[in-house]
Amino acid sequence: MKPRVPLQNLAMPLALLGIAAFFALQESAFLGPRNLTQLIVEFSITGTLALGMFMILLTGQIDLSVGSGVGLIGGLAAVLVFHLGWPAPAALLTALAAAVVLWTLMGTLIVRQRIPSFIITLGGLLIFKGLFWLVIQNSTVPVARGDQENLYALLTTYYLPAGVGLGLAGVVAAALVVLAWRSRGARAGAGLPVRSVGREVAVQLATTAGIVGLVLVCNASRGVPLSLLVLSATAAGVYFLTQHTPFGRYLYAIGGNEEAAVLSGIAVNRVLVGAYVLMGVTVALTGFMTTAYSGASTTTVGDLMELDAIAACVIGGTALRGGRGSVAGVIFGALIMATLLNGMTLLAVSPEIKFVARGVVLTLAVWMDVKLGRK
Amino acid sequence: MTPLLETRRLTKRFPGVTALRDVAFDLRPGEIHAVCGENGAGKSTLIKLLAGIHPHGSYEGELLVDGRPAAFGSVRDAEAAGIAVITQEFALIEELSVAENLFLGRPPRRGFRIDWLELHRRAAALLAEFDLAVAPEAPVHTLGIGQKQLIEIMRATDKHSRVLVLDEPTAALPAHEVGILLDHLRRLRAQGTACIYISHKLDEVFALADRITVLRDGASVVTLDRAAATIPAVIRFMVGREITDMYPRRQDTGRVARESASDPDQRPEDRPLHPGATQAKPLLEVRALEVTRARGESALLRDVSFAVRPGEVLGFGGLMGAGRTELLMHLFGGWGVRTRGEVRLRGEPYADPTPRRSIERGLVLASEDRRRYGLVLDQSVGFNLSLSSLGRFTRPPGRIDGQAEHACNQRFFTSLGIKAPGQAARVGGLSGGNQQKVVLGKALMTGPAVVMLDEPTRGIDVGAKLEVYELINRLTADGCAVLLVSSELPELIGLSDRIIMLAAGRIGGEFERGEFTQEKLLAAAMGRAALEK
Repeated sequence: MKPRVPLQNLAMPLALLGIAAFFALQESAFLGPRNLTQLIVEFSITGTLALGMFMILLTGQIDLSVGSGVGLIGGLAAVLVFHLGWPAPAALLTALAAAVVLWTLMGTLIVRQRIPSFIITLGGLLIFKGLFWLVIQNSTVPVARGDQENLYALLTTYYLPAGVGLGLAGVVAAALVVLAWRSRGARAGAGLPVRSVGREVAVQLATTAGIVGLVLVCNASRGVPLSLLVLSATAAGVYFLTQHTPFGRYLYAIGGNEEAAVLSGIAVNRVLVGAYVLMGVTVALTGFMTTAYSGASTTTVGDLMELDAIAACVIGGTALRGGRGSVAGVIFGALIMATLLNGMTLLAVSPEIKFVARGVVLTLAVWMDVKLGRK
Repeated sequence: MTPLLETRRLTKRFPGVTALRDVAFDLRPGEIHAVCGENGAGKSTLIKLLAGIHPHGSYEGELLVDGRPAAFGSVRDAEAAGIAVITQEFALIEELSVAENLFLGRPPRRGFRIDWLELHRRAAALLAEFDLAVAPEAPVHTLGIGQKQLIEIMRATDKHSRVLVLDEPTAALPAHEVGILLDHLRRLRAQGTACIYISHKLDEVFALADRITVLRDGASVVTLDRAAATIPAVIRFMVGREITDMYPRRQDTGRVARESASDPDQRPEDRPLHPGATQAKPLLEVRALEVTRARGESALLRDVSFAVRPGEVLGFGGLMGAGRTELLMHLFGGWGVRTRGEVRLRGEPYADPTPRRSIERGLVLASEDRRRYGLVLDQSVGFNLSLSSLGRFTRPPGRIDGQAEHACNQRFFTSLGIKAPGQAARVGGLSGGNQQKVVLGKALMTGPAVVMLDEPTRGIDVGAKLEVYELINRLTADGCAVLLVSSELPELIGLSDRIIMLAAGRIGGEFERGEFTQEKLLAAAMGRAALEK
């Protein structure tokens, strides 16, 4: 999709730079490889959840239950591993299945009973939180027994060896260049406008430099974190779904004009349930990563993450009333949210102020959405 | 005698349309003055001017109250001048009581508190005066439509309105309540309240009005004294328009060509449009259809039967609220509950329509409200064109073949003559005519057999209209059947092989090409009462 407003395109990178510069000036460790790697893991977690939220918001719906859901699904997997001694892959798959079932149920309730998603998912927020605390018995459940390594713990502690990371970056960058080149040929063949060759080369060079640069930053510390790969795969999947499949088209159409979508023969209910199922999948992924990142499931895991996800989407230009937004924007929004939270933690900002800051950012983002949406 | 209300050379323009043209109208104290005209003649615009909805400065000409120029900047100004407008949509708050609604915004007070006792006492007095047997405490949503209408009128009279403007007040009223309403209006007249009465129903107009003004195409054609007028004469004034040469005919070659109306031997509408259309099997057959809005409500469409064959254009006419849009929406699967009757699509029974199924089986609808039901305005032309046909471009494992989609969009973009910078242009930024072409293109890309067009030329300019007419001819040449709903009788007459006039949800008359006249069609639309006089 086309970027929304040129002004916003510039405003957001500038805001990110400003935020980063502020933290870097306050605390030089902010730009250190160690913190940057942590930032990337946190960004991966926020971003993955935001990508699921993105598809929900596109249709004009909302999901407030994902924060508690993240805790519940992560906690469930942790209990299966730690208390019941399941192998990690089986535990993760089972918890993922549970998430899919729960979100199918919520989606079905929303479309069949015509209950506003706001209410259903608000109910979900409380129910999942209760279930979460029941599952972990209000205690701390580590994601691995003793010092054993398992897939669950590795989600946020495994780093690709430097060489592998660079190799992967090369492969991805090359693949992107090939894809861009083919799409360019196709567009030219169909008589569509294409970027000038110079511009195209510049864009591709910048992309490649960005990818390789990111890997180099990671390699300066411990390497590319596994969680960044999870985010990349999720982003690629969501991008493909929203831009290249009928399902994605229908998400935009439903959010843009639901009545017209129905009369265009779109199975609106099925598409909406589909969006919630995918939300469930990203909740599970996020749940695993964020629980693994804390090392254990505790009652506060996932708290308020629904708001971070919504804020990331809205900052990235997703319209709350639906029908507008892009994957790139969401990724960007997630980066801003993650940077803010990471910086504040690094500066040891008190929790009180952190709450206020998160609230202010969310309000500002929605205010901007309303302002821009009216044009 | 100074008129209570007078307009001089009133002209109101909207972008691309002149809704009112030099309208002269006057209302004497204590009279009931009816305003008649076809759909789109300008009645609603006139009301909106009188009510201050279109404020002073947005129109040309003069509006005088008691002989003095008036400049209403808002509805409030008009109300202050004693003009109360009662529209078809009630301004009542359903959850509040009758008494609260009657005195909404100006309840009797006692200090800071609402004086509930006084409120109910006054409401009861008003209700008694109007002979309305409802409790002041009854919530408005428990009332019938006729009762709600009376509540609105009571509210207006209690504000000491001198001019009551009623817009189609009986459109939704059952017959026995119409009589009650008319009696109340006569009583108000006796008390000195003047009334502007807008209605399609000429029998009511003749039963009530002192004078009748006819609007046609935005101009005031004539003002008649009731005693000197007859229903056929009023209908003639309402129609009074010649069929122009707007309507392209398909020639034997199947090519679209414009014919001139100057052919002296034969009126264009007498010639068979699509020879051979009557022999083929019907593509869509509807038998004894009865439809309600929701389960348990009374039927809004009754006993509707028709069939349409390949290459045929079946026109549907009727007044506002006759059920034309509802009929098409129901057949498509977007509205109502079928309580009786049978529909067959391409020979197969089609009992349980949904838009999705209809499109799959070759039945498409281009809705009258394209912005609401037709388009995703924020998205591009291409996005909208292919929205109903994406399945066709999808390759395993579910990826849209962008090139195939783009090529197909481009074909429709070109053949429909959509005027836009390109497929990537945002639909919301296009003109009405081009938006309509996108809606039509979306419907046609699905490869339909039966095309339902609801007011396909509403709000679009003449050039675009002609293109839509040519498109209809192309469709019939390709063997499609077309159901066409239009409020413009000349358009209906110019394009249809057969016309069915709906009146209050029933078939009011069916006409073959050759027997179309605007008078006959309009009489059928107004129902039997007008026909018999």
